Amino acid sequence: METDERIQTAAKFLLQSPPGEINDVLNDVRNIISDDEALQAGAATALREYNLTQFITAEVPGHQHQCIVSEAALVPKQSSTEEGAEGEAEQEQENDDIDRFWDPRSRTSFRFDHLNLEASDPAPIDPDPESEPFRNALETSTLNYLEAHYHSGVSSVFPTQGNTSRYIIQIVANKYNPSNFWSGRWRSEYTIDLAEKTLTGKILVNVHYYEQGNVQLSTTHNISLALPPTITPNPAPASANKVLALIESEETKYQSSLNEAYSEMGEKTFKGLRRALPMTRSKLDWDKVLGYKLGAELSANKGGFAAS
Amino acid sequence: MADLVDSMLDLMRRLPPTNVEDNVSALVAMCPDYADDLLGSVDQPLKVMTDRTTGKEFLACDYNRDGESYRSPWSNEYDPPLDDGTIPSPRLRKLEITANEAFDTYREMYYEGGVSSVFLWDLDDGGFAGVVLLKKALNPTSPSEPSGSWDSIHVFEAAERGRQAHYKLTSTIMLHMIDRPSVGVVESAKEKEEKTDVKRAGEINLSGSMTRQTEQDWPLQDQTSHITNTGRMIEEMEIKMRNLLQEVYFGKTRDVVFDLRSLDDLEKARRQRELQKELVGFIKR
Repeated sequence: METDERIQTAAKFLLQSPPGEINDVLNDVRNIISDDEALQAGAATALREYNLTQFITAEVPGHQHQCIVSEAALVPKQSSTEEGAEGEAEQEQENDDIDRFWDPRSRTSFRFDHLNLEASDPAPIDPDPESEPFRNALETSTLNYLEAHYHSGVSSVFPTQGNTSRYIIQIVANKYNPSNFWSGRWRSEYTIDLAEKTLTGKILVNVHYYEQGNVQLSTTHNISLALPPTITPNPAPASANKVLALIESEETKYQSSLNEAYSEMGEKTFKGLRRALPMTRSKLDWDKVLGYKLGAELSANKGGFAAS
Repeated sequence: MADLVDSMLDLMRRLPPTNVEDNVSALVAMCPDYADDLLGSVDQPLKVMTDRTTGKEFLACDYNRDGESYRSPWSNEYDPPLDDGTIPSPRLRKLEITANEAFDTYREMYYEGGVSSVFLWDLDDGGFAGVVLLKKALNPTSPSEPSGSWDSIHVFEAAERGRQAHYKLTSTIMLHMIDRPSVGVVESAKEKEEKTDVKRAGEINLSGSMTRQTEQDWPLQDQTSHITNTGRMIEEMEIKMRNLLQEVYFGKTRDVVFDLRSLDDLEKARRQRELQKELVGFIKR
């Protein structure tokens, strides 16, 4: 297999990494490829894609909270050029190729190292004044919701470029417990469109249990609903609370349905695949199993003789 | 390079069980020199084939494979046909036939359906080894019902020591379940009035495999003792592992989900605890 193809395969492996195990997968892949130089170039793109889709979190430089590094958190290219305008022209061009992400909560933009998961080079960034009041209200309500239902959740609320009535709420919660061989991740994302009066969203849950085995829960769930007419840009805080009440209701409903699915799979599927014990409620008598076979053959033979 | 195989196995222990076939073939294409190590150590879902002579179904895996052909335990024939395919010695084949009948009874008692196959092969040191395979799939009758499959792979080695036999057993069970629940089909009357346009759709996939090993000595009266001995060991192992699977699939993975998000309002619970503390303090005063 050509090096290119090997790197492509390696990238596919990286993208399938369970929550919190990207470094383990990367180490395995490194050993298998044993060509660090080629891997480094190829893996960078995969790591970036993995981080963005998995809602990897970053410590915001100079602040006490975390934010989500995702597609929605990308600083639009033009504005990053404007910011860099004070720097030297050459450096500006170089920087242009490097992503910047931003945390609307602290109004900070930063560079992100997709391998070490570290944010650096913080810079202040001004939000769009038109969408900021409602975004800010959504953020406050989301943080309250997070406190109420997540044990260690992180959220970010983003405006969308070129559309002042559309907002994106992202939530991620991770639990990594390698010493007990399990990890889990809950991701949810909602797009609120005040003009279209719609809320669309998705919830993704991944759990990995790997003590002498490899068991994974992987769920997808899509939601789309019409926003009630009472949700309007003004007053922002009341409407934002209503949006989060809808999200809370949907997520709680979903979590309860997961519970039901668990008991249905346990009651119907699991039991239907293999019984705990035979109908006789006792284990097999293996001497008889061989004997029965013999007996069945004998009686079949006897029948044969009698008929002839 | 043993550690290369270790890395491959560690990788397969982490990547999603639902993609095991694709990932194994990708790894084999990447490192063809290690194909045998990989195919011999990573369990993949069993394939159901039909014996052309007897019309009976049997299971195909790496242990009854010779080149591209698989041997049926019922007719002892390879499919596609092979003239010089590896077959057990006549003595072992006799035992294999009886073992297949015995585990077919076991399958019917515990699985009430599905397919079983037993394959035995001679070892260089005079002993023999074997694999007992069991598979059952549940196909839903309606789209909202869950589907599932169970694959058991029990590999054992038997060494005769006078009137005793020593057995090494490695058991892997692969369990896959998929559910596409329709969330909140029954909406409350209030909800019906307020929102007419709610769409929800999704899938729950709970899949994986677990492996356990054991070594035991059992008395040996004659050759068929090997069947009753391994039968008891495998039955015991499957009962133990079924409990384990139940605990991990329906207990542990669920607990992690509820560790991520709480159904109850944590903030309210926090406030209540504080209020309680205050009250206790008040009473003590």
